[in-house]
Amino acid sequence: MTVVRLPARPRPRYGGAVVGGTAVLEEAPEDSVEALAVRFRAGHEEALGEVYDRWSALVHTYALRALADTHDAEDVTQQVFVAAWRSRETMTPSPSTFPAWLLGIARHKIADARAARARDVRRIEAVVAATPSDEGVGAEDVMEPDRIVVRQAVDEMAEPRRTIMLLAFWQDLTHADIAASTGLPLGTVKSHLRRGLTQLHRTLEEVRHGSR
Amino acid sequence: MAHADIDDLAALVLEPGDVPADVQQHVHACPTCAQTLEALAATRRAAGADALVAPPSGLRTRVMAEALGRPAGVVADTPAAIAPDAPAGTGEPVPLAGRRRSGVPLWLASVAAVTALVAGLGFGRMSVGTPEATPVEPEPTGSVLASTALTALDSDAPRGNAEAVRHDDIVTVSVEASSLGDEQGFHEVWLINVDGKRMVALGILARGDDGTFDVPRGLIDEGYRIVDISVEPDDGDPTHSGVSLARGQLA
Repeated sequence: MTVVRLPARPRPRYGGAVVGGTAVLEEAPEDSVEALAVRFRAGHEEALGEVYDRWSALVHTYALRALADTHDAEDVTQQVFVAAWRSRETMTPSPSTFPAWLLGIARHKIADARAARARDVRRIEAVVAATPSDEGVGAEDVMEPDRIVVRQAVDEMAEPRRTIMLLAFWQDLTHADIAASTGLPLGTVKSHLRRGLTQLHRTLEEVRHGSR
Repeated sequence: MAHADIDDLAALVLEPGDVPADVQQHVHACPTCAQTLEALAATRRAAGADALVAPPSGLRTRVMAEALGRPAGVVADTPAAIAPDAPAGTGEPVPLAGRRRSGVPLWLASVAAVTALVAGLGFGRMSVGTPEATPVEPEPTGSVLASTALTALDSDAPRGNAEAVRHDDIVTVSVEASSLGDEQGFHEVWLINVDGKRMVALGILARGDDGTFDVPRGLIDEGYRIVDISVEPDDGDPTHSGVSLARGQLA
């Protein structure tokens, strides 16, 4: 048999050069989530780091609460970000892209991890010849991530809205107390709370939409 | 009247006294506004969660390495970094720029061809006889395209198994190897074409003996179906070392 030499065509090595030719939105504000989503989608490697820094705690907390195991939660977190990077071209950039999209992926990975556990349980049961219990771990009943999505979204809000939201929704202070303790006019406090609540509502809607 | 402004609906959740009576009456009578109001109230009730738990700091490096396909050791191995410190007796480091990609070495090609003949070409699902056979990363959405037991090359000693799962145009090749031995170096996974002439590197088994790799569906269809695990010295040479620890043909 003769060995055929492979054509030595130059090609991008592991992603580095892949991003070169892609147009970047120069006008988009640096801190805009949508601009980050555009860079992520285009394969800018530092965008992966930014997305990880910003939403890894959300994904990790979700996995931790769903699986109650630090090792599994870490595994799922890693799988989610790697899968997100690999399927980045399927993502549609929008202001609330990431929580919805990442948690949608996490939901599947958590279900996988639970299915793997259930298999382990069945295997152990088979080995010890015990009666198989039908108390399998359901793959569907992954909890709603609403509460941690809300927490994450509030943590991300710019000041003074973040503090106002935390005082009102976490410490249950009255609007007047918040105005007094922050030194802001009552009307300003109220409008931050209204807009903040609306903002959280929109994020949750998108998460509910995106993760089904 | 028109539907209530979302700002007013939010106010209705936060402090009903702030909202004019006519807005309140409308919301009472309007199913659409009532629904939005309930969603806003549910959002308010979703507040109060404890602070989020960040993953351990080391995870970031692992995510970046896996996603970008660059194990930390390989990233650092630029020729400039290696050359000054190359220990005597290991030979001159070959500059990466001067290295040409060569085809599948003759020894590898003939082994691959024999494997192809022995294994035959079918594409149906083959059940694996080992009870430990479970996919590394099960995907409920995918269907198993092909699987294989991995064995040593010079004997039929079992070396784990591999499975290809299809997701649209992507095939996820999951490798669950075992008994790869402790020879110095890292374990790299390759797909060799059944024509014995072509091969592609899938990546390194960085996390123990298991790994999952996404490949375009077209590659499998073209005949890249022989899963090969090599042991690679950390010498910066991206080609196959010639030392295969395990092999099996996806069928």
